[in-house]
Amino acid sequence: MSRCDFKIVLLGSEHVGKTSLVIRFVNCRFNSGTPYQNTIGAAFCAKQMQSHDREFNVGIWDTAGSERYEAMTRMYYRGAHAAIICYDPASLASWTRLRHWLQELRTVEEDCKVYLCGTKKDLLDTGTVQREVPEDIIATYSQGLHGHFLTSSKTGENVDELFQKIVDDCVKDLKVMKIVEEARVQLQKEDNEKNKNYCYC
Amino acid sequence: MEDVLDEIVSSEDLQKFEKIFHEQLHQGNVTPKAQFEYAWCLVRSKYPTDIRKGILLLRELFNSHTEGKRDYLFYLAIGNARIKEYNKALHYVKSFLEIEPANQQVLALERQINKRMEKEGLIGMAVAGGAVLAIGGLVGLGIALASSKK
Repeated sequence: MSRCDFKIVLLGSEHVGKTSLVIRFVNCRFNSGTPYQNTIGAAFCAKQMQSHDREFNVGIWDTAGSERYEAMTRMYYRGAHAAIICYDPASLASWTRLRHWLQELRTVEEDCKVYLCGTKKDLLDTGTVQREVPEDIIATYSQGLHGHFLTSSKTGENVDELFQKIVDDCVKDLKVMKIVEEARVQLQKEDNEKNKNYCYC
Repeated sequence: MEDVLDEIVSSEDLQKFEKIFHEQLHQGNVTPKAQFEYAWCLVRSKYPTDIRKGILLLRELFNSHTEGKRDYLFYLAIGNARIKEYNKALHYVKSFLEIEPANQQVLALERQINKRMEKEGLIGMAVAGGAVLAIGGLVGLGIALASSKK
């Protein structure tokens, strides 16, 4: 059984740290020694999560941020239950790109829950970089969205909280849960069919 | 990890990028972007003829457009693996890893290709094929050395 109950997609400019966020969340690690490598196309990973005393299989699509893949990224947020749009608070350019994704999602996937995520919080905290995106602007944009988180993939701060909030929100959404339940029933049926076939051997 | 080798392009996406590619082809000016997007759809098609066409387009890009070489290598490996040309696929994977030895996406792809070969009983053949190549290489080296001494 490999099907996912929820599909989450990560969007945002290159170099904001989407892949690091996923690796921190899924593998609980941060590799500061690895040199930066652009994601090619999109990478998929899954994690089992709990919400309201139930288990859910969550699929995460980590998309390439480089503009080369812009037309293709659309294919990955199709049918997503939630999108995390990442930006780097120390990069105004990444914030401008975020607005582009936000508009796209609103027109293409109206039902998709949108979460904003400011990355590299540790660098802000230590004063290594200066904030370029004013907090009041972020607050204005976050209104009407499902949440805003400031995370650090290096320390892990707020990373689990972000993904937990998404799954909790999905579970609370009756429309989403109806589809999830139906898919599970269907999968069970298919599995039963398969087992039936094996019995003939 | 969901298998990147199982991902299938939707026919509407394939048609969309096919149309753009053919329009540019008609005008006699195909951009690397359009060619790559079309090839990227083709190698993820369920039909081997599409995949082969995608591989051709990617090889052409690889030879003519330096900027996206790593992307082309990655999808060349995927395309070849999908039509069960596993040795070719692994060759592209190795070329990629020579440049970026720690790339997680490519390492994962390598594992998946090996898993498939194992499942299909091809590991032995790959080793044998490698040995033949190695012997061929030695013979070639011997000939080269012998001729250089003259």
